[in-house]
Amino acid sequence: MSNADLMVSSFGKRGDEDQQHQIIDFKMVTFTLGGKDYGIDIMQVKEIYKAEHFTPVPNTAPFVKGVFNLRGEIISIVDLRKMFHMQVIEKVTGETEDIIFLKSDDHLTGIVVDFINDVVGVDSSTIQPPHPLFGDINIKYISGVVEFEEKLFIVLDIDTILGAEDSGFGAVQAPVQSLDAQPVEPISPENLESPMELGYTFVTETLATLASFYVSEINENWVRSRFSEWQTLKGPESADIQLKSPDDAQQFLQGFQSANTGTFWSESMSSFYRSILPEAKTNVLSLWNIGCGAGYETLSLACLLRLQYPDKQIKIWAHDSDLISVSNAPNLVVGAKDLPEWLRSFTQEGNRGIIFKKEITDLILFEYHDALHDSPLPPVNFIVARDLLSYLQPDGKQKILADYKEKLVPGGVLIIGDNERILDDAFSENEKAGFKWYVKV
Amino acid sequence: MRVEYINPFVESAFNVLKEVLDADISRGELYLKATSMPVLGVAAIIGLTGDVEGRVLLDMSMQTAIMIASTMNAEEFESFDALGKATIAELANMITGQAVTKLHDLGFHFDLSPPSLITGDNMVVTDSGVEALIVPLQLPQGKLEINVAVRERS
Repeated sequence: MSNADLMVSSFGKRGDEDQQHQIIDFKMVTFTLGGKDYGIDIMQVKEIYKAEHFTPVPNTAPFVKGVFNLRGEIISIVDLRKMFHMQVIEKVTGETEDIIFLKSDDHLTGIVVDFINDVVGVDSSTIQPPHPLFGDINIKYISGVVEFEEKLFIVLDIDTILGAEDSGFGAVQAPVQSLDAQPVEPISPENLESPMELGYTFVTETLATLASFYVSEINENWVRSRFSEWQTLKGPESADIQLKSPDDAQQFLQGFQSANTGTFWSESMSSFYRSILPEAKTNVLSLWNIGCGAGYETLSLACLLRLQYPDKQIKIWAHDSDLISVSNAPNLVVGAKDLPEWLRSFTQEGNRGIIFKKEITDLILFEYHDALHDSPLPPVNFIVARDLLSYLQPDGKQKILADYKEKLVPGGVLIIGDNERILDDAFSENEKAGFKWYVKV
Repeated sequence: MRVEYINPFVESAFNVLKEVLDADISRGELYLKATSMPVLGVAAIIGLTGDVEGRVLLDMSMQTAIMIASTMNAEEFESFDALGKATIAELANMITGQAVTKLHDLGFHFDLSPPSLITGDNMVVTDSGVEALIVPLQLPQGKLEINVAVRERS
Protein backbone atom coordinates (compact mmCIF):
# COMPACT_ATOMS: atom_id res chain seq x y z
CA MET A 1 0.00 0.00 0.00
CA SER A 2 1.44 3.37 -0.92
CA ASN A 3 1.74 6.17 1.57
CA ALA A 4 -0.99 8.15 -0.07
CA ASP A 5 -3.40 5.20 0.03
CA LEU A 6 -2.77 4.67 3.69
CA MET A 7 -3.42 8.28 4.48
CA VAL A 8 -6.56 8.42 2.43
CA SER A 9 -8.01 5.24 3.84
CA SER A 10 -7.53 6.54 7.32
CA PHE A 11 -9.75 9.45 6.48
CA GLY A 12 -12.46 7.43 4.86
CA LYS A 13 -15.00 8.42 7.46
CA ARG A 14 -14.78 12.05 6.68
CA GLY A 15 -17.67 12.12 4.21
CA ASP A 16 -20.05 10.72 6.79
CA GLU A 17 -19.15 13.39 9.24
CA ASP A 18 -20.05 16.11 6.80
CA GLN A 19 -23.49 14.67 6.44
CA GLN A 20 -23.98 14.83 10.14
CA HIS A 21 -24.09 18.60 9.96
CA GLN A 22 -27.63 19.30 10.95
CA ILE A 23 -29.76 21.81 9.24
CA ILE A 24 -30.57 24.65 11.56
CA ASP A 25 -33.97 25.82 10.54
CA PHE A 26 -35.61 26.61 13.85
CA LYS A 27 -34.31 29.28 16.17
CA MET A 28 -35.72 29.95 19.54
CA VAL A 29 -35.22 32.41 22.33
CA THR A 30 -34.66 30.40 25.50
CA PHE A 31 -35.57 31.47 29.00
CA THR A 32 -36.41 30.03 32.36
CA LEU A 33 -39.74 29.95 34.10
CA GLY A 34 -39.85 28.61 37.61
CA GLY A 35 -36.30 27.34 37.11
CA LYS A 36 -37.08 25.25 34.02
CA ASP A 37 -35.98 25.82 30.43
CA TYR A 38 -38.41 27.00 27.80
CA GLY A 39 -38.15 28.28 24.25
CA ILE A 40 -40.20 30.45 21.91
CA ASP A 41 -39.91 30.53 18.13
CA ILE A 42 -37.70 33.47 17.28
CA MET A 43 -39.96 34.49 14.42
CA GLN A 44 -42.61 35.46 16.96
CA VAL A 45 -40.26 37.51 19.06
CA LYS A 46 -40.09 41.18 18.28
CA GLU A 47 -37.49 42.05 20.81
CA ILE A 48 -36.24 41.41 24.27
CA TYR A 49 -36.09 44.04 26.90
CA LYS A 50 -35.42 44.74 30.55
CA ALA A 51 -37.68 47.07 32.46
CA GLU A 52 -39.44 47.83 35.69
CA HIS A 53 -42.38 50.12 36.56
CA PHE A 54 -45.42 48.72 34.84
CA THR A 55 -48.67 50.61 35.02
CA PRO A 56 -51.21 48.35 36.73
CA VAL A 57 -54.60 48.04 35.10
CA PRO A 58 -57.52 47.52 37.45
CA ASN A 59 -59.94 44.65 37.15
CA THR A 60 -57.75 42.34 35.10
CA ALA A 61 -56.66 38.77 35.64
CA PRO A 62 -53.94 38.32 38.27
CA PHE A 63 -51.33 37.32 35.69
CA VAL A 64 -51.62 40.68 33.92
CA LYS A 65 -48.84 42.78 35.25
CA GLY A 66 -50.03 45.96 33.61
CA VAL A 67 -49.22 47.96 30.56
CA PHE A 68 -45.95 49.34 29.39
CA ASN A 69 -44.96 52.15 27.11
CA LEU A 70 -42.46 50.89 24.61
CA ARG A 71 -41.28 53.86 22.58
CA GLY A 72 -44.78 55.26 22.47
CA GLU A 73 -46.55 51.96 21.89
CA ILE A 74 -48.70 50.71 24.75
CA ILE A 75 -48.26 47.02 25.31
CA SER A 76 -49.86 44.64 27.79
CA ILE A 77 -47.46 42.78 29.99
CA VAL A 78 -48.31 39.29 31.17
CA ASP A 79 -46.44 37.36 33.80
CA LEU A 80 -46.20 33.85 32.37
CA ARG A 81 -45.27 32.39 35.72
CA LYS A 82 -48.47 33.62 37.31
CA MET A 83 -50.46 32.53 34.28
CA PHE A 84 -49.14 29.01 34.68
CA HIS A 85 -49.30 29.06 38.47
CA MET A 86 -45.58 28.80 38.97
CA GLN A 87 -43.44 30.21 41.69
CA VAL A 88 -42.53 33.83 41.05
CA ILE A 89 -39.15 35.08 42.13
CA GLU A 90 -39.99 38.56 43.36
CA LYS A 91 -37.53 41.14 42.17
CA VAL A 92 -36.39 43.71 44.65
CA THR A 93 -37.13 47.31 43.81
CA GLY A 94 -34.75 48.67 41.25
CA GLU A 95 -34.13 45.26 39.71
CA THR A 96 -35.48 44.94 36.20
CA GLU A 97 -37.66 42.17 34.83
CA ASP A 98 -36.72 40.26 31.68
CA ILE A 99 -39.41 40.79 29.09
CA ILE A 100 -39.94 39.21 25.70
CA PHE A 101 -42.14 41.14 23.30
CA LEU A 102 -44.12 38.81 21.10
CA LYS A 103 -46.10 39.46 18.02
CA SER A 104 -49.15 37.38 17.33
CA ASP A 105 -51.80 38.45 14.83
CA ASP A 106 -50.33 41.97 14.69
CA HIS A 107 -50.74 42.34 18.43
CA LEU A 108 -47.73 43.02 20.56
CA THR A 109 -47.69 41.49 24.00
CA GLY A 110 -44.92 41.40 26.53
CA ILE A 111 -44.29 38.38 28.69
CA VAL A 112 -42.29 38.47 31.88
CA VAL A 113 -40.01 35.50 32.50
CA ASP A 114 -37.39 34.62 35.14
CA PHE A 115 -34.36 35.05 32.93
CA ILE A 116 -33.80 35.25 29.20
CA ASN A 117 -30.87 33.02 28.38
CA ASP A 118 -29.84 32.76 24.80
CA VAL A 119 -30.84 32.16 21.24
CA VAL A 120 -30.28 28.62 20.06
CA GLY A 121 -30.71 27.07 16.67
CA VAL A 122 -32.01 23.53 16.25
CA ASP A 123 -33.18 21.27 13.50
CA SER A 124 -36.98 21.50 13.52
CA SER A 125 -37.27 17.79 12.77
CA THR A 126 -35.76 17.03 16.17
CA ILE A 127 -38.59 18.78 18.00
CA GLN A 128 -40.70 16.08 19.58
CA PRO A 129 -44.37 16.31 20.41
CA PRO A 130 -45.16 17.04 24.05
CA HIS A 131 -45.97 14.24 26.41
CA PRO A 132 -49.25 14.45 28.36
CA LEU A 133 -47.34 14.12 31.62
CA PHE A 134 -45.69 17.52 31.41
CA GLY A 135 -46.58 19.17 34.65
CA ASP A 136 -46.51 22.87 35.13
CA ILE A 137 -48.08 23.98 31.89
CA ASN A 138 -51.25 22.74 30.25
CA ILE A 139 -50.26 20.57 27.32
CA LYS A 140 -52.20 22.62 24.79
CA TYR A 141 -49.80 25.51 25.28
CA ILE A 142 -46.78 23.38 24.37
CA SER A 143 -45.84 22.82 20.79
CA GLY A 144 -42.98 20.42 21.47
CA VAL A 145 -39.83 19.50 23.30
CA VAL A 146 -36.34 19.76 21.90
CA GLU A 147 -32.90 18.87 23.17
CA PHE A 148 -30.00 21.28 22.82
CA GLU A 149 -26.62 20.73 24.41
CA GLU A 150 -28.01 18.11 26.75
CA LYS A 151 -30.77 20.35 28.03
CA LEU A 152 -34.44 19.84 27.25
CA PHE A 153 -36.36 22.91 26.18
CA ILE A 154 -40.11 23.07 26.17
CA VAL A 155 -41.23 25.04 23.14
CA LEU A 156 -44.27 27.13 23.92
CA ASP A 157 -47.08 27.66 21.45
CA ILE A 158 -47.46 31.41 21.56
CA ASP A 159 -50.53 31.68 19.38
CA THR A 160 -52.48 29.41 21.71
CA ILE A 161 -51.22 31.12 24.83
CA LEU A 162 -51.97 34.64 23.64
CA GLY A 163 -55.23 33.67 22.03
CA ALA A 164 -56.37 31.59 24.98
CA GLU A 165 -59.93 32.58 25.57
CA ASP A 166 -60.53 30.57 28.67
CA SER A 167 -57.59 32.19 30.36
CA GLY A 168 -59.46 35.44 30.15
CA PHE A 169 -56.68 36.81 28.13
CA GLY A 170 -58.95 38.60 25.73
CA ALA A 171 -59.74 41.10 28.44
CA VAL A 172 -56.26 42.34 28.88
CA GLN A 173 -55.79 44.39 25.76
CA ALA A 174 -54.78 47.74 27.02
CA PRO A 175 -57.41 50.46 27.32
CA VAL A 176 -55.54 52.87 25.17
CA GLN A 177 -57.57 56.00 25.84
CA SER A 178 -57.20 56.00 29.58
CA LEU A 179 -53.54 55.91 29.24
CA ASP A 180 -51.61 58.13 31.40
CA ALA A 181 -48.74 55.82 31.97
CA GLN A 182 -46.07 56.79 34.37
CA PRO A 183 -42.82 57.92 32.84
CA VAL A 184 -40.92 55.08 31.31
CA GLU A 185 -37.28 54.63 31.96
CA PRO A 186 -35.21 56.16 29.22
CA ILE A 187 -34.17 53.46 26.83
CA SER A 188 -30.48 52.95 27.20
CA PRO A 189 -28.54 51.11 24.53
CA GLU A 190 -27.53 48.24 26.78
CA ASN A 191 -31.01 47.13 27.66
CA LEU A 192 -32.30 47.38 24.14
CA GLU A 193 -31.68 44.67 21.67
CA SER A 194 -33.06 45.73 18.32
CA PRO A 195 -34.24 43.16 15.78
CA MET A 196 -31.19 43.93 13.69
CA GLU A 197 -28.86 43.31 16.60
CA LEU A 198 -30.72 40.11 17.33
CA GLY A 199 -30.26 39.05 13.67
CA TYR A 200 -26.55 39.73 13.99
CA THR A 201 -26.37 37.61 17.12
CA PHE A 202 -28.04 34.69 15.35
CA VAL A 203 -25.65 34.91 12.47
CA THR A 204 -22.60 34.91 14.73
CA GLU A 205 -23.93 31.91 16.61
CA THR A 206 -24.74 30.01 13.45
CA LEU A 207 -21.26 30.70 12.10
CA ALA A 208 -19.80 28.98 15.12
CA THR A 209 -22.05 25.95 14.68
CA LEU A 210 -21.89 25.56 10.92
CA ALA A 211 -18.46 26.86 10.00
CA SER A 212 -16.53 26.68 13.30
CA PHE A 213 -15.99 30.39 12.86
CA TYR A 214 -15.99 32.27 16.14
CA VAL A 215 -16.81 35.94 16.14
CA SER A 216 -14.74 37.91 18.63
CA GLU A 217 -12.85 41.18 18.83
CA ILE A 218 -10.35 39.54 16.44
CA ASN A 219 -12.74 39.66 13.49
CA GLU A 220 -15.77 41.63 14.65
CA ASN A 221 -15.12 44.59 12.33
CA TRP A 222 -15.18 42.38 9.31
CA VAL A 223 -18.22 40.38 10.40
CA ARG A 224 -20.23 43.53 11.14
CA SER A 225 -19.57 45.08 7.78
CA ARG A 226 -20.18 41.77 6.06
CA PHE A 227 -23.45 41.46 7.96
CA SER A 228 -24.79 44.75 6.63
CA GLU A 229 -23.63 43.74 3.15
CA TRP A 230 -25.38 40.42 3.66
CA GLN A 231 -28.61 42.16 4.66
CA THR A 232 -28.56 44.24 1.50
CA LEU A 233 -27.88 41.10 -0.48
CA LYS A 234 -30.59 38.96 1.10
CA GLY A 235 -33.35 41.50 1.58
CA PRO A 236 -34.95 42.94 4.68
CA GLU A 237 -36.80 39.80 5.85
CA SER A 238 -35.03 38.50 8.91
CA ALA A 239 -35.75 34.91 7.85
CA ASP A 240 -33.66 35.35 4.72
CA ILE A 241 -30.55 36.67 6.38
CA GLN A 242 -30.18 33.66 8.62
CA LEU A 243 -27.68 30.99 7.74
CA LYS A 244 -29.38 27.65 7.42
CA SER A 245 -26.69 25.30 6.15
CA PRO A 246 -22.90 24.98 6.03
CA ASP A 247 -23.06 26.26 2.45
CA ASP A 248 -24.81 29.44 3.60
CA ALA A 249 -22.16 29.91 6.26
CA GLN A 250 -19.36 29.49 3.74
CA GLN A 251 -21.09 31.96 1.45
CA PHE A 252 -21.29 34.46 4.29
CA LEU A 253 -17.59 34.01 5.00
CA GLN A 254 -16.63 34.61 1.38
CA GLY A 255 -14.03 37.30 1.27
CA PHE A 256 -12.79 36.65 4.77
CA GLN A 257 -9.83 34.58 3.66
CA SER A 258 -6.56 36.39 3.46
CA ALA A 259 -4.92 37.06 0.12
CA ASN A 260 -3.03 34.13 -1.39
CA THR A 261 -4.50 31.53 0.94
CA GLY A 262 -3.63 28.05 -0.28
CA THR A 263 -1.35 29.36 -3.00
CA PHE A 264 2.13 30.85 -3.22
CA TRP A 265 2.45 34.42 -2.08
CA SER A 266 2.39 36.91 -4.91
CA GLU A 267 5.49 38.87 -5.74
CA SER A 268 4.00 42.16 -4.52
CA MET A 269 2.98 40.65 -1.22
CA SER A 270 6.33 39.03 -0.59
CA SER A 271 8.31 42.12 -1.51
CA PHE A 272 6.13 44.20 0.79
CA TYR A 273 6.72 41.92 3.73
CA ARG A 274 10.43 41.81 2.91
CA SER A 275 10.49 45.58 3.19
CA ILE A 276 9.16 45.53 6.77
CA LEU A 277 11.30 42.73 8.14
CA PRO A 278 13.65 43.89 10.87
CA GLU A 279 17.40 43.70 10.62
CA ALA A 280 18.73 40.37 11.83
CA LYS A 281 20.59 40.60 15.11
CA THR A 282 21.32 36.92 15.52
CA ASN A 283 22.77 34.29 13.25
CA VAL A 284 19.80 32.00 13.47
CA LEU A 285 16.34 33.21 12.46
CA SER A 286 13.31 31.11 13.13
CA LEU A 287 9.74 31.28 11.94
CA TRP A 288 6.62 29.51 13.15
CA ASN A 289 3.98 28.96 10.49
CA ILE A 290 0.74 27.68 12.00
CA GLY A 291 -1.86 26.29 9.67
CA CYS A 292 0.66 25.65 6.90
CA GLY A 293 -1.78 23.42 4.98
CA ALA A 294 -0.19 21.90 1.91
CA GLY A 295 2.92 24.05 2.32
CA TYR A 296 2.54 26.77 -0.32
CA GLU A 297 2.67 29.52 2.24
CA THR A 298 5.59 27.95 4.09
CA LEU A 299 7.67 27.59 0.93
CA SER A 300 6.91 31.21 0.00
CA LEU A 301 8.08 32.26 3.46
CA ALA A 302 11.22 30.14 3.23
CA CYS A 303 12.19 31.77 -0.08
CA LEU A 304 11.26 35.22 1.24
CA LEU A 305 13.50 34.82 4.28
CA ARG A 306 16.31 33.35 2.17
CA LEU A 307 16.19 36.40 -0.13
CA GLN A 308 16.07 38.82 2.76
CA TYR A 309 18.72 37.17 4.92
CA PRO A 310 21.06 35.42 2.44
CA ASP A 311 23.78 34.55 4.94
CA LYS A 312 21.75 33.65 8.01
CA GLN A 313 20.70 30.27 9.24
CA ILE A 314 16.96 29.93 8.84
CA LYS A 315 14.66 27.48 10.57
CA ILE A 316 10.94 27.18 9.91
CA TRP A 317 8.47 25.12 11.89
CA ALA A 318 5.34 24.52 9.85
CA HIS A 319 2.39 23.06 11.73
CA ASP A 320 -1.00 21.86 10.67
CA SER A 321 -3.56 19.54 12.20
CA ASP A 322 -4.88 18.44 8.80
CA LEU A 323 -2.96 15.20 8.36
CA ILE A 324 -3.47 14.78 4.61
CA SER A 325 -2.41 18.31 3.65
CA VAL A 326 0.63 18.44 5.84
CA SER A 327 1.77 14.90 4.92
CA ASN A 328 2.13 15.87 1.30
CA ALA A 329 3.78 19.21 2.03
CA PRO A 330 7.41 17.99 2.22
CA ASN A 331 7.19 16.50 -1.26
CA LEU A 332 5.16 19.23 -2.91
CA VAL A 333 5.20 19.09 -6.70
CA VAL A 334 4.22 22.34 -8.41
CA GLY A 335 2.61 22.97 -11.77
CA ALA A 336 4.52 25.52 -13.87
CA LYS A 337 1.56 27.90 -14.09
CA ASP A 338 1.04 27.96 -10.32
CA LEU A 339 4.57 29.09 -9.68
CA PRO A 340 5.09 32.85 -9.43
CA GLU A 341 8.10 34.24 -11.25
CA TRP A 342 9.92 35.33 -8.08
CA LEU A 343 10.12 31.74 -6.82
CA ARG A 344 11.46 30.19 -10.01
CA SER A 345 15.11 30.43 -9.07
CA PHE A 346 14.46 28.29 -5.98
CA THR A 347 13.01 25.38 -7.92
CA GLN A 348 14.26 22.64 -10.19
CA GLU A 349 12.81 19.91 -12.43
CA GLY A 350 12.03 16.75 -10.50
CA ASN A 351 10.81 13.39 -11.74
CA ARG A 352 7.15 14.30 -11.48
CA GLY A 353 7.26 18.05 -12.01
CA ILE A 354 8.77 21.18 -10.53
CA ILE A 355 10.07 20.77 -7.01
CA PHE A 356 11.81 23.13 -4.61
CA LYS A 357 15.56 22.86 -4.21
CA LYS A 358 16.87 21.03 -1.20
CA GLU A 359 18.44 24.23 0.15
CA ILE A 360 14.89 25.58 0.62
CA THR A 361 13.10 22.41 1.77
CA ASP A 362 15.86 21.78 4.30
CA LEU A 363 14.91 25.03 6.05
CA ILE A 364 11.44 23.72 6.84
CA LEU A 365 10.26 21.16 9.33
CA PHE A 366 6.69 20.13 8.58
CA GLU A 367 4.92 18.72 11.61
CA TYR A 368 1.53 17.16 12.20
CA HIS A 369 0.64 19.24 15.21
CA ASP A 370 -2.42 20.69 16.82
CA ALA A 371 -1.65 24.26 17.80
CA LEU A 372 -3.84 23.90 20.87
CA HIS A 373 -1.44 21.32 22.28
CA ASP A 374 1.83 22.17 23.92
CA SER A 375 4.76 22.38 21.63
CA PRO A 376 8.44 22.27 22.52
CA LEU A 377 9.17 25.18 20.20
CA PRO A 378 12.02 27.53 21.15
CA PRO A 379 11.48 31.34 20.94
CA VAL A 380 10.98 32.46 17.35
CA ASN A 381 11.60 35.68 15.41
CA PHE A 382 8.52 35.49 13.22
CA ILE A 383 5.06 33.99 13.48
CA VAL A 384 2.78 33.66 10.48
CA ALA A 385 -0.66 32.32 11.32
CA ARG A 386 -3.23 33.76 8.96
CA ASP A 387 -6.94 33.20 9.60
CA LEU A 388 -6.24 30.89 12.53
CA LEU A 389 -7.59 32.81 15.51
CA SER A 390 -11.05 33.20 13.98
CA TYR A 391 -11.49 29.45 13.79
CA LEU A 392 -10.65 28.77 17.42
CA GLN A 393 -13.05 28.60 20.32
CA PRO A 394 -12.55 31.34 22.91
CA ASP A 395 -10.39 29.14 25.17
CA GLY A 396 -8.20 28.04 22.31
CA LYS A 397 -7.85 31.60 21.09
CA GLN A 398 -6.63 32.74 24.51
CA LYS A 399 -4.12 29.93 24.65
CA ILE A 400 -2.73 30.68 21.20
CA LEU A 401 -2.48 34.40 21.96
CA ALA A 402 -0.57 33.54 25.13
CA ASP A 403 1.70 31.29 23.04
CA TYR A 404 2.39 34.14 20.63
CA LYS A 405 3.39 36.36 23.52
CA GLU A 406 5.59 33.71 25.02
CA LYS A 407 7.29 32.41 21.88
CA LEU A 408 7.84 35.62 19.90
CA VAL A 409 11.07 37.44 20.76
CA PRO A 410 10.82 41.20 21.45
CA GLY A 411 10.82 43.01 18.12
CA GLY A 412 9.59 39.84 16.44
CA VAL A 413 7.01 40.10 13.67
CA LEU A 414 3.56 38.52 13.80
CA ILE A 415 1.37 38.23 10.72
CA ILE A 416 -2.30 37.28 11.12
CA GLY A 417 -5.21 37.23 8.70
CA ASP A 418 -6.00 40.26 6.53
CA ASN A 419 -9.38 40.64 8.22
CA GLU A 420 -8.26 39.92 11.74
CA ARG A 421 -6.82 42.19 14.36
CA ILE A 422 -5.29 41.73 17.77
CA LEU A 423 -5.98 44.29 20.46
CA ASP A 424 -3.26 43.62 22.97
CA ASP A 425 -0.64 45.83 24.54
CA ALA A 426 2.01 43.21 23.88
CA PHE A 427 1.84 43.83 20.14
CA SER A 428 1.95 47.09 18.24
CA GLU A 429 -0.22 47.24 15.17
CA ASN A 430 1.21 48.47 11.88
CA GLU A 431 -0.53 49.00 8.60
CA LYS A 432 0.81 50.15 5.27
CA ALA A 433 -0.28 49.77 1.66
CA GLY A 434 -3.18 47.55 2.71
CA PHE A 435 -0.93 45.09 4.56
CA LYS A 436 -0.98 44.64 8.29
CA TRP A 437 1.57 43.28 10.71
CA TYR A 438 2.28 43.27 14.42
CA VAL A 439 5.53 43.80 16.26
CA LYS A 440 6.10 42.36 19.70
CA VAL A 441 6.79 45.19 22.12
CA MET B 1 5.36 15.33 15.15
CA ARG B 2 7.38 15.51 11.99
CA VAL B 3 5.20 14.26 9.15
CA GLU B 4 7.89 11.99 7.71
CA TYR B 5 7.75 9.87 10.87
CA ILE B 6 4.05 9.12 10.71
CA ASN B 7 3.79 6.68 7.84
CA PRO B 8 6.62 4.35 8.87
CA PHE B 9 4.89 3.75 12.19
CA VAL B 10 1.45 3.33 10.65
CA GLU B 11 2.71 0.98 7.95
CA SER B 12 4.88 -1.17 10.16
CA ALA B 13 2.16 -1.57 12.79
CA PHE B 14 -0.26 -2.61 10.08
CA ASN B 15 2.16 -4.97 8.32
CA VAL B 16 3.59 -6.64 11.41
CA LEU B 17 0.20 -7.27 13.01
CA LYS B 18 -1.28 -8.56 9.79
CA GLU B 19 1.60 -10.96 9.41
CA VAL B 20 1.83 -12.31 12.96
CA LEU B 21 -1.90 -12.59 13.54
CA ASP B 22 -2.79 -13.58 10.00
CA ALA B 23 -6.09 -11.69 10.25
CA ASP B 24 -7.96 -8.71 8.92
CA ILE B 25 -6.97 -5.54 10.65
CA SER B 26 -8.79 -2.28 10.31
CA ARG B 27 -7.35 1.05 11.23
CA GLY B 28 -9.21 3.99 12.70
CA GLU B 29 -8.47 7.61 12.01
CA LEU B 30 -5.13 8.89 13.27
CA TYR B 31 -5.27 11.68 15.78
CA LEU B 32 -3.19 13.72 18.18
CA LYS B 33 -3.52 13.78 21.90
CA ALA B 34 -1.79 16.15 24.26
CA THR B 35 -3.12 15.54 27.71
CA SER B 36 -2.55 12.63 30.02
CA MET B 37 -4.25 9.59 28.63
CA PRO B 38 -5.44 6.39 30.23
CA VAL B 39 -3.68 3.15 29.36
CA LEU B 40 -5.91 0.17 28.74
CA GLY B 41 -4.18 -2.33 31.04
CA VAL B 42 -1.10 -3.66 29.25
CA ALA B 43 1.47 -1.23 27.88
CA ALA B 44 4.69 -2.10 26.11
CA ILE B 45 7.07 0.87 25.99
CA ILE B 46 10.09 1.33 23.78
CA GLY B 47 12.25 4.41 24.11
CA LEU B 48 13.59 6.22 21.06
CA THR B 49 16.67 8.36 20.89
CA GLY B 50 18.96 9.72 18.19
CA ASP B 51 17.59 12.41 15.89
CA VAL B 52 14.59 12.49 18.19
CA GLU B 53 13.72 11.78 21.76
CA GLY B 54 10.54 10.08 22.84
CA ARG B 55 8.85 6.73 23.08
CA VAL B 56 6.48 4.33 21.39
CA LEU B 57 3.77 2.72 23.47
CA LEU B 58 1.66 -0.28 22.52
CA ASP B 59 -1.51 -0.20 24.50
CA MET B 60 -4.22 -2.86 24.88
CA SER B 61 -6.49 -4.47 27.44
CA MET B 62 -5.39 -7.51 29.40
CA GLN B 63 -7.90 -9.68 27.56
CA THR B 64 -6.61 -8.53 24.17
CA ALA B 65 -3.02 -9.11 25.25
CA ILE B 66 -3.78 -12.68 26.31
CA MET B 67 -5.59 -13.36 23.06
CA ILE B 68 -2.81 -11.90 20.92
CA ALA B 69 -0.23 -13.93 22.82
CA SER B 70 -2.39 -17.04 22.35
CA THR B 71 -2.63 -16.47 18.59
CA MET B 72 1.07 -15.74 18.19
CA ASN B 73 2.12 -18.82 20.15
CA ALA B 74 -0.62 -21.04 18.72
CA GLU B 75 -1.76 -22.19 22.16
CA GLU B 76 -4.47 -21.06 24.58
CA PHE B 77 -3.17 -18.93 27.44
CA GLU B 78 -5.26 -18.86 30.58
CA SER B 79 -3.38 -16.02 32.21
CA PHE B 80 -0.85 -13.40 31.21
CA ASP B 81 2.24 -15.42 32.15
CA ALA B 82 5.92 -14.88 31.42
CA LEU B 83 5.67 -16.24 27.89
CA GLY B 84 2.68 -14.01 27.20
CA LYS B 85 4.54 -10.97 28.45
CA ALA B 86 7.59 -11.83 26.38
CA THR B 87 5.34 -12.18 23.34
CA ILE B 88 3.78 -8.75 23.70
CA ALA B 89 7.17 -7.16 24.36
CA GLU B 90 8.48 -8.84 21.23
CA LEU B 91 5.51 -7.58 19.24
CA ALA B 92 6.33 -4.03 20.31
CA ASN B 93 9.93 -4.63 19.34
CA MET B 94 8.97 -5.91 15.89
CA ILE B 95 6.68 -2.96 15.13
CA THR B 96 9.08 -0.31 16.36
CA GLY B 97 12.07 -2.06 14.81
CA GLN B 98 10.48 -2.17 11.39
CA ALA B 99 9.43 1.47 11.64
CA VAL B 100 12.92 2.55 12.63
CA THR B 101 14.39 0.57 9.74
CA LYS B 102 12.08 2.38 7.34
CA LEU B 103 13.04 5.71 8.87
CA HIS B 104 16.72 4.82 8.56
CA ASP B 105 16.20 4.31 4.83
CA LEU B 106 14.69 7.80 4.68
CA GLY B 107 17.76 9.25 6.37
CA PHE B 108 16.59 9.54 9.98
CA HIS B 109 18.68 7.85 12.62
CA PHE B 110 16.99 6.44 15.70
CA ASP B 111 18.16 4.09 18.42
CA LEU B 112 15.83 1.90 20.43
CA SER B 113 15.72 0.90 24.05
CA PRO B 114 14.67 -2.66 24.95
CA PRO B 115 10.92 -2.95 25.49
CA SER B 116 9.48 -2.64 28.98
CA LEU B 117 6.13 -4.12 29.78
CA ILE B 118 3.85 -2.46 32.30
CA THR B 119 0.56 -3.94 33.45
CA GLY B 120 -2.03 -2.73 35.88
CA ASP B 121 -5.38 -1.03 36.22
CA ASN B 122 -6.19 2.67 35.98
CA MET B 123 -2.83 3.68 34.59
CA VAL B 124 -2.28 7.06 32.96
CA VAL B 125 0.62 8.08 30.76
CA THR B 126 1.77 11.69 30.60
CA ASP B 127 4.36 13.22 28.31
CA SER B 128 5.13 16.80 29.06
CA GLY B 129 5.59 19.25 26.26
CA VAL B 130 4.97 16.80 23.44
CA GLU B 131 1.77 15.49 21.93
CA ALA B 132 1.24 11.86 20.99
CA LEU B 133 0.16 10.44 17.67
CA ILE B 134 -2.43 7.72 18.19
CA VAL B 135 -2.88 4.93 15.64
CA PRO B 136 -5.98 2.98 16.66
CA LEU B 137 -6.16 -0.57 15.27
CA GLN B 138 -9.02 -3.00 15.47
CA LEU B 139 -7.96 -6.64 15.57
CA PRO B 140 -10.12 -9.76 15.91
CA GLN B 141 -8.57 -10.02 19.39
CA GLY B 142 -9.67 -6.56 20.39
CA LYS B 143 -8.50 -2.96 20.25
CA LEU B 144 -4.82 -2.02 20.14
CA GLU B 145 -3.39 1.48 20.08
CA ILE B 146 0.03 2.53 18.90
CA ASN B 147 0.94 5.71 20.69
CA VAL B 148 3.99 7.59 19.43
CA ALA B 149 5.30 10.67 21.23
CA VAL B 150 8.58 12.01 19.87
CA ARG B 151 10.13 15.39 19.44
CA GLU B 152 13.07 16.68 17.50
CA ARG B 153 16.22 16.94 19.49
CA SER B 154 17.00 20.62 19.46
